[in-house]
Amino acid sequence: MTTHSPHPAHAVEPASAEELALMSDEEAMILGAEADGVHIVHRRDRFPIRGTRAEKRAERTIALIFLIGFLAAVGFIVVFCGALPFEWHLPGQGSQDFRYFTPALGFLLGLSLACVGVGIVLWAKWLLPEEEAVQDRHDEPESEAEVLMTAASLVTGFNDMGVARRSMLKSTVGLAVGALAALPLVALVGAMIKKPNKGQGQSLFHTLWTAGTPVVYSDGRRVSTDDLLPGGIETVFPGVPGGIKAGDSPTLLIRLRPGQVVKARKGQDTYQWGDYIAFSKICTHAGCPASLYEQQTGRLLCPCHQSQFDVLLDAKPIFGPATRSLPKLPLGVEVQDGKQYFVAKGDFPEAIGPAFWERP
Amino acid sequence: MTTLNEAPTVKGARRFDKPRTPQGKAGKFFEERLGLAGGLRKQLNKVFPDHWSFMMGEIALYSFIILILTGTFLTFFFDASMAEVRYDGSYVPLQGVEMSRAYASTLHISFDVRGGLILRQIHHWAALLFMAAMTIHMFRVFFTGAFRKPRELNWLIGLGLITLGLVEGFAGYSLPDDLLSGTGLRIAEAIMQSIPVIGTWVAFLAFGGKFPGTEIIGRLYIVHVLLVPGILAGLIGAHMALLIKQKHTEFPGPGKSEHTVSGERMYPTYAAKAGGFFFIVFAVCAALGGLAQINPIWLYGPYNTAQVSAGSQPDFYIGFLDGSTRLFPSWEIRLWHHTIPALFWPTIVLPGILFTLAGAYPFLEAKLTKDRAKHHLLQRPRDVPVRTGLGAMAITFYGVLLLSGGNDLIAKAFDISLNAMTWAGRIGMLLAPPLAYVIAYKACIGLQRHDREVLEHGIETGIIKRLPNGEFIEIHQPLGAVDDHGHGLLEYAGTPVPKKMNKLGNPQTARVKGFFRPVREKAEIEAELAALEQAEAERAASQRELTD
Amino acid sequence: MTDDTVDADSDLGFDPAVSDRDVPTAARAARASKAPSSSRGGGLRSKVSRKVSSVLVLIGALAAVGGGYSLLAPSSSADQTALSAADVETGRQLYESSCITCHGSNLQGVQGRGPSLIGVGSAATYFQVSTGRMPAAGQGATNNRKPAKFNEQQTQQIAAYVGSVGGGPQVPTGDLRGNPQNISDGGELFRLNCASCHNFAGKGAPLSAGKVAPSLNNATDLQLYTAMLSGPENMPVFSDNQITPDQKKAIIDYIQNLKASKDPGGAGLDRIGPVSEGLLIWTAGLGVLMVAILWIGRKS
Repeated sequence: MTTHSPHPAHAVEPASAEELALMSDEEAMILGAEADGVHIVHRRDRFPIRGTRAEKRAERTIALIFLIGFLAAVGFIVVFCGALPFEWHLPGQGSQDFRYFTPALGFLLGLSLACVGVGIVLWAKWLLPEEEAVQDRHDEPESEAEVLMTAASLVTGFNDMGVARRSMLKSTVGLAVGALAALPLVALVGAMIKKPNKGQGQSLFHTLWTAGTPVVYSDGRRVSTDDLLPGGIETVFPGVPGGIKAGDSPTLLIRLRPGQVVKARKGQDTYQWGDYIAFSKICTHAGCPASLYEQQTGRLLCPCHQSQFDVLLDAKPIFGPATRSLPKLPLGVEVQDGKQYFVAKGDFPEAIGPAFWERP
Repeated sequence: MTTLNEAPTVKGARRFDKPRTPQGKAGKFFEERLGLAGGLRKQLNKVFPDHWSFMMGEIALYSFIILILTGTFLTFFFDASMAEVRYDGSYVPLQGVEMSRAYASTLHISFDVRGGLILRQIHHWAALLFMAAMTIHMFRVFFTGAFRKPRELNWLIGLGLITLGLVEGFAGYSLPDDLLSGTGLRIAEAIMQSIPVIGTWVAFLAFGGKFPGTEIIGRLYIVHVLLVPGILAGLIGAHMALLIKQKHTEFPGPGKSEHTVSGERMYPTYAAKAGGFFFIVFAVCAALGGLAQINPIWLYGPYNTAQVSAGSQPDFYIGFLDGSTRLFPSWEIRLWHHTIPALFWPTIVLPGILFTLAGAYPFLEAKLTKDRAKHHLLQRPRDVPVRTGLGAMAITFYGVLLLSGGNDLIAKAFDISLNAMTWAGRIGMLLAPPLAYVIAYKACIGLQRHDREVLEHGIETGIIKRLPNGEFIEIHQPLGAVDDHGHGLLEYAGTPVPKKMNKLGNPQTARVKGFFRPVREKAEIEAELAALEQAEAERAASQRELTD
Repeated sequence: MTDDTVDADSDLGFDPAVSDRDVPTAARAARASKAPSSSRGGGLRSKVSRKVSSVLVLIGALAAVGGGYSLLAPSSSADQTALSAADVETGRQLYESSCITCHGSNLQGVQGRGPSLIGVGSAATYFQVSTGRMPAAGQGATNNRKPAKFNEQQTQQIAAYVGSVGGGPQVPTGDLRGNPQNISDGGELFRLNCASCHNFAGKGAPLSAGKVAPSLNNATDLQLYTAMLSGPENMPVFSDNQITPDQKKAIIDYIQNLKASKDPGGAGLDRIGPVSEGLLIWTAGLGVLMVAILWIGRKS
């Protein structure tokens, strides 16, 4: 095997098998490296005299590190197999020692791995010979003849197939393969695709609230008109099957403080019931529940991107990235057993939650 | 060149066809069937340059391996289903709560599978490390110009790895279906919806209907354990294959050239160091996984569309998008009964621009500098002030976005108004990057100037001399030959210049071993060592004479 | 986007929701100046030291066996004994020595100083006094938790007096920890009603324009209960119809257990979540590995 070398001074004659057979391993290795374009320019044993105290000391140190790694691994197994409990208990209702289980495992595993890693690196740094090797990059452009022959092979193949002449074949095979290539995508997308807003409960413009839907708590109790105190809020849901789990129905019922007046949007003056007002809890920006309510200032903050809405301005966004007011739920009451309970007078007048293309 | 064992210990002729040792027999067995000897030796002898900054990519590679190992463990216990169950495991504060099977099985892993929690935590820490290591590796490649021809393709592959890493990470931390990640999924759905024209179609396709649906966790699961890891593995393979084909870059210096690469051979030295380093990376992940709690989903609770927690943040690698979303003004476009939501710009357009710019950078730089040559020698950041400035600008922009992603926590911790934090982020996003450019640029020029100064005048020795005329001067140690005026003749070559006397180096460092006190060898060994050193010094001297 | 000037009336903190509708406006007019709090340096320092201590925990996770079991034991809320007429009388005396200048001789409030306390109830009074928010440090200062001026008994007495004059929500008596079986219901209610401001781990959060939902770290059972009942400052009021007393107790049970629970996965990183995790991987994680690569890459 011959190599092109930019360092003729280093060029080494390739050796025959007979010559190699008589060489030392190291000499044969150096010749092999030369054959690969790797010139070992410096190679020096760190302990040229075998068995010195320094060498033994280095070896012992590394062995000790490996030994610690072994002990830590054994410790890991012991802890893992039950030396420490891992069952969780409430405070005051059982041992809290579970809190040492995972840290102990992490410490022992980390120690064991670190010892193995550091030991191996030290082996390389302390005991392996110092060596500096230089390798040719062989980054010269390929010879022109090489490139020309390859290009000719490609062109001849095309000519053999008659790509230039047989335009009918070319276009039809293109069609067939192109259509086939689109198949996986079509299959996947076609199988997964869902027409937006189609089907029961799938419309982005409507929620489960309808005229007469009872307003309920998360545990299903109905909300009555004397439940909240001024300055109170509650997350309420449509009292229909699936209403508490639906992603679009959480609604924030707010009882205003005395003196707080909401400037209603056009056509929504009747949505409020007394000092109760209800907005969609889903932020119009990115859909988080906007529910950090400041009862004195009437501000509603979304914890995800810090949009701020002013309930007294009918939940208009006053700071942050949200652009649309929170949709307002028309509130009404019905009397049952002499008590007034909230119902919705209809759905939100607009789509709730984050905006989308089809939304006016 | 010196060889170690002057007298070869030839016990007899080595012969391939009659091996005597077990290794030899095994070698013969495989060689006769595979015929790999030549190719294998080429790889064993491959030379890798030795510089600390070249090991950052290795951290990412090793984290990926750790992720696969720990992730495989987790798949044995995780149930990617959104079906509702009532929790009855060990964690009392959630007993009886309705939750998805995904969340319940993650609780199961954390509290009822022996060692499940630490594996989960190692997996999550390794994921963070994977992303962080890729990021600093990218910085290293950028600031040293390692992306230049012929390595532009590998730069693009690397960028693809980071992008897929983001997707993989997001899909991964969404799987437990806890309150925090569910909030993230809700935002992801809003981002999909915000795409003009096809947004709602994309969201309905991904979620199988209106949010939250019953599909998304199962789909993210297969994306997370098969699809993206498969592509990642393939791209990592291509990344490494290109590295091997093109060989590693190295810093310029004495004896370095564009045509060679110098360092240690792959076998055994480099392999030992790299292999040892794998264990060290794993050790860090394991220690973090045991000692520092991560993603405590039991504190977050199961996802519920009506609930949210203050201080909801994504993992750090998504943080810059959270920040951009917080900072972007409420600019929504409404035209002819259609809407382009404000969310679209900071979450889809902005990362699109950022990643396109990053991908195009090698080609843009080549075009603008008209540099079409191949480069295997790196540049020091100070020698390319414009690029360094641009990099500093990009990092600062990213940093402002990342900080803004946690601006509520900063506001709380330092008692600053949230609104003020938002405005600080908005202004900082525009002003800080150009400022960073100017500072980095000036710093580069200053560092270069200092290097040139030392090359010309020598190192400040700290020795003050008084001239006969009363003038005080400091004596400078020239680094090489000087001209008639005492000015150094060394050219500026973009290599480190020693700035202190004790950095000048001593060709023969003292052989002192031992930690507390030097190791004393026996007298005869000391004498032998001294003789060896003497011989070596003489050989070096004669070689210098030859070359001079 | 609008900037923030509308919240001038929010910071005194004691602007009872359930009160005469005229008085708050009077009080509002009074509170014009809003001085930045000066007592925050300590908060910052303790934050830093908490960070440091969590790192220490991380390092010595195996060695250190922390004491502090007292935190663990279910805290028996202040001994609730029926308050006698004598207590009310003592409460009146305390009120007249410490509260009367701002809230008036008949709880009617003093224009420009403090709001009326008629109808706020003993619950609100107990919360404000026991958390040290009242007596307020000064006019217009942001009202944060600080060491209480009165002891538990005195606080109860003042609360009893205010309750006896003006009526309103009462300080509850008895055990505030409900049935341990309900802790998970308490958790659900906590996440639905409380976590949005006070965070999943009770760490608190910033609200709009400098206002803050406080951390629940130091809150006692009774303080949690009275806070829910009275809605101090900007916190919404949670009436007994809305969140029943049993549900309130379940929430308290959840919160106090959450605070007392040990983290099973090592140092809790202040239970902040992804931000502190990201910080740790960039500092400790990558930091250690940078040292490692510098060591491995160093010529030997």
